[in-house]
Amino acid sequence: MELAEPTHKTTIWEKLSVERIKIELLRTAYGQSMTFLSRFDPRMLIGWYSFFAIAPWFIHNKTVLIGMLLAIAILTYTSKPSVLVLIVLAFGLVTDTAYMLIVALAFGGGFSAALALSTLTLKLLVIALASIAVFSSMDPEKLSDALLSLGMPAQFSFGVAYGYRMLPILIEEYNNLLYSYRLRGRAPLRKGFLGWRALVYMGKISVLAFYPLILNTAKRTRTTVEALEVKGFTYAVKDPRVKRIKLAYLKVLPRDYAFIIVSAIYVAFLFWLGSQFTL
Amino acid sequence: MNAGSMTKRWELTPQQKLMIFILSMSLYGISNMITELIPEVKVGPIELKVEYFIFIPLLFAILFNPLYAALGACFGEVIFGELLLGQFGGLGELEKFIEFGLAIFIAGMLVKNPTNRRQLAIAAYVAIGIDQLLGTIVDIGKVYFGVEDFEAVPGLPESVLAIEGFAFLNAMIVSGTLFALLPTLYLVPRLYGKVEPLLGMKPRDGRASASIGDFVTPRLIILSILFFAIAGAAEFLAESDINFIDWESEFIAGLGDGAIWISMGVAAVIFIAALIWGISRKSGKRKGETV
Amino acid sequence: MTFQSTEEQPIIKLDNVTFRYPGAEANSLEGVSLSICRGDFIAIAGSNGSGKSTLCKCFNGLIPTYYSGDMEGTVLVDGLSTADHSVAELSKRVAYVFQDFENQLVRPTVYDEVCFAPLNFGYEDYKERGMNALRMLEIEHLRHEWIWQLSGGQKHMAALAAALALDPDVIVVDEPVAQLDPAHARVIYEKLKLLNERYGKTIVVIEHHTEFIADYCRNMVLMEKGGRVRWVKSVSEGLSAVSELTEMNIQPPQVTQAFHALRSEQAVERGIAYPITIEEAAAHWSPVVRRASFLSDTGESIVPPSSQAAGGEPLVCFEGVISGYQGIDRKKKPILQGIDLDIHEGDRIALIGNNGAGKSTLLRLISGLRRPWEGKVTVCGKDTRKSTPEELSDLVAFLFQNPEEMFIADNIRQDIEFFLKARKQEGIEPFIEDVLRRFKLTELQQRDGRLLSGGQQRRTTLAIGMAMRPTIMLLDEPTASLDIASRKELTLLFDQLREQVKAVVIATHDMQLVADWANRVIVMNEGRILLDTDSRTVFQHPEILDRAALIAPQIVQLCGRLGIEPACLSVEQFIAYMQRMPREELVYGIS
Repeated sequence: MELAEPTHKTTIWEKLSVERIKIELLRTAYGQSMTFLSRFDPRMLIGWYSFFAIAPWFIHNKTVLIGMLLAIAILTYTSKPSVLVLIVLAFGLVTDTAYMLIVALAFGGGFSAALALSTLTLKLLVIALASIAVFSSMDPEKLSDALLSLGMPAQFSFGVAYGYRMLPILIEEYNNLLYSYRLRGRAPLRKGFLGWRALVYMGKISVLAFYPLILNTAKRTRTTVEALEVKGFTYAVKDPRVKRIKLAYLKVLPRDYAFIIVSAIYVAFLFWLGSQFTL
Repeated sequence: MNAGSMTKRWELTPQQKLMIFILSMSLYGISNMITELIPEVKVGPIELKVEYFIFIPLLFAILFNPLYAALGACFGEVIFGELLLGQFGGLGELEKFIEFGLAIFIAGMLVKNPTNRRQLAIAAYVAIGIDQLLGTIVDIGKVYFGVEDFEAVPGLPESVLAIEGFAFLNAMIVSGTLFALLPTLYLVPRLYGKVEPLLGMKPRDGRASASIGDFVTPRLIILSILFFAIAGAAEFLAESDINFIDWESEFIAGLGDGAIWISMGVAAVIFIAALIWGISRKSGKRKGETV
Repeated sequence: MTFQSTEEQPIIKLDNVTFRYPGAEANSLEGVSLSICRGDFIAIAGSNGSGKSTLCKCFNGLIPTYYSGDMEGTVLVDGLSTADHSVAELSKRVAYVFQDFENQLVRPTVYDEVCFAPLNFGYEDYKERGMNALRMLEIEHLRHEWIWQLSGGQKHMAALAAALALDPDVIVVDEPVAQLDPAHARVIYEKLKLLNERYGKTIVVIEHHTEFIADYCRNMVLMEKGGRVRWVKSVSEGLSAVSELTEMNIQPPQVTQAFHALRSEQAVERGIAYPITIEEAAAHWSPVVRRASFLSDTGESIVPPSSQAAGGEPLVCFEGVISGYQGIDRKKKPILQGIDLDIHEGDRIALIGNNGAGKSTLLRLISGLRRPWEGKVTVCGKDTRKSTPEELSDLVAFLFQNPEEMFIADNIRQDIEFFLKARKQEGIEPFIEDVLRRFKLTELQQRDGRLLSGGQQRRTTLAIGMAMRPTIMLLDEPTASLDIASRKELTLLFDQLREQVKAVVIATHDMQLVADWANRVIVMNEGRILLDTDSRTVFQHPEILDRAALIAPQIVQLCGRLGIEPACLSVEQFIAYMQRMPREELVYGIS
């Protein structure tokens, strides 16, 4: 059913409403679906990622880098990352590079500076996309389990699960506290130049709302920690047996090896190609 | 826990430490999510952006325990700000983790009396200062190692230094004042004595006096250096053997003329595609239901 | 009443236990000796601050292990001394569901939550144990749900299941009714009954809703101020001590109160047990009423006259309003579907309906926090789509369900002043003093709202609303999680509103409030208005109450059983009704 366009002007509040942000966050956090990469063992993926996160720093051959970029871009596509993540990445890269270029020109650099920077951008892009491809599709709990098995403290994987649990509640509470400030406070009557007064007011209450949020969360945390005590968490942290049982489901399967081998062959091919044709 | 200086602070049970950890984690995590989504205002080189709500872990570091507040905040940032949003940056997180953790820890250690505004102000600037400084060094390092013959490229070293230096000062002045100094000065006195009963503990005894010298123990200095070395190592792994792919040098000459435009172009295409995708989705929706 | 607890050795045994929280000025428990038998279903009742929760935290060793206060005496659980065993060890025997059970849930999904404790204890078959717990409560279908998407009742069930996963002998549930609406609370009690009868678990509930005690428990403990145990009795005996309970701010079941009043008037001392459930009461009075019903036609109106607004400009006007939320999948989920509604001056509206019926959304639309997708909401002539919530707040005060989300200043006095100070009003001191006094907050004004009791918190939010001097006041579930005394007090305070506030809308599950206070009742279901009537009529539509998952007050149900029409809305009305009947009939009925 289509609805009529409302008559009121959208205010800055609506564009930035915590409610909208909440939906966006929940969607990203809880909207995981099966993707090509998420089927593999997370530990293997972390290893795979580590290569693509470190190797580009040592590679200055653009053919190789572009080849890597292509493959990783395809994998990123299959992992259906959120638009938000991509925008943040692209925006950061574009502005940073452009900015550096302009300043470099101002300092009398020129084309050589641009050239040198292009390699850097390419490297950063490979690394960033590799992390998006691997981690945006990976279930955070699986990731935390993988990290746990790689020696991360148990508090971390608890934190991930707890974060998952609390995220919507905390955002909701923050939202309601902001509403409390708005319903009892007074927004500036004049918007000011470019709405700066409204912006300052908004910034101020978004910081202030943390004051009651801290107090509320403090009260909540007390019960949580009691419950953790009752549920044996404080003891489990020190018990290696618990870790073993918890991680028993992580298994490296033939398809994981296959993926590694295919990747290795591809990278080897790229190096060969790079030695033949250099950009 | 930490010997020496820490024994002078009032003691916490393991459960209370866990509470502080969880508090710092969830609150800083949530704030991090929110700041990640607030757009930034850029006027030329002057960026007005909400860097982070560094005051939140700082509060807990000052009021309770610097170590657990710092650890919680780092975990919170990685979990809420990155993992749950699908933005986990892999190794890059390690760098942030160490910089930020160290900053909060040291700043929290500096305050011995939560009602002393001067100490609070110093702690606020120290926190953001350490974090930004380490970040700046790492950023410069990245360009240095990422670009071959960095120094040989005319204009580049100067420009990188200028940009990073400016960004550092900018963060110190804008974020440092708006999101470290002012909230800390406003909130610490208010929370002190008020948040503790909610957690079921006694307020920290402000009179436990000790000179700064007590806190900046050799142990702390060693730890700092150690942490910093790890941070450096994580980032500059390359340095130790930069030529391990030995044929790379052949390609310097082959760097294509329009190369920058290729990478810029790729990034721009992604950017535009993402924008179009986002906009086309949005236009299909109705507007106006929320405020 | 049958006593099934036959084992000789009590499962929990307290011997002369005294406890004081660290830093507290008085003891929370004072010389408590108590035995709880295996297989019992026992209620612990007592007024606020009588140490009920403290007592129960002794059972699983949180006291004295976790709270390192001063403790004397011994607590034995299944023969183990709690002082010598860890909380985790004792948790295998005693499960605990906290009053704020939401904060007890620490994992993202239900399945995760129930597996968490068995995993922590290193059981290889932790998944099986988790599933078993779900099976025992018959909630396997919830296992893949995200915790945050569950309703309150489902969350409580998940917390209970998680506690069950360790297969404990004793289950302690702290005030299940407090945070749930009555229909869901009943579901929880049914499950507890199942656990007790089928699985032989010992159930301990902290409870002051005596109607639940009457329906489900076998024995009850009465605690009094200072953390002493007054007595331990069987439920029928305990609840018959009407005056003693009333003195301690515990309200006996309505049927018991009615019987007590009617009985003492006749001054018949025969030592018979009072009726404590509807069944008993119905069996008791039905012969009388059946005779009486044709003798006295109810005739005169017992119900207070309801003032259905007449004419004039409505204060609030909904015209074909559709509104809702955006779901996670970015799809719009309409919550309200075509609402037409006028609110007039003098309206005291109770907005009732099950969770998700759209009550909160309706309130938010009036406050301007939410805007209609379609249609129009007008508040005192202002189109909410053209005004900000800040502007509307001059007319509308909206009190949230959770009072803690309204405490944004340093102390409650500043919270109350906040609105006027933000508007830079001068000379507000006398007014604020007056509000504080009227809501009995003068003594508490320097405290933080979060550290107050539930009743005090509600009073504070009302005072905050009053200080805004609104035309319309909206309250979301103001009586949830209040004990009876605070609830009564609150209902009296609502009358204070009448002087200034032209219309009040309360979203509630509290049928007692509907019966006592409202002059207009709106029943909502699935985003539509099912019924818009007065409080007497609403109880004559059991099928509608059913659809909206509501339970009428006990006395109304009793009237239904007895065929008294129109139903009496309060115990007083019922007593008056019965007293008009020929005396000898009643005497006859009692024997």
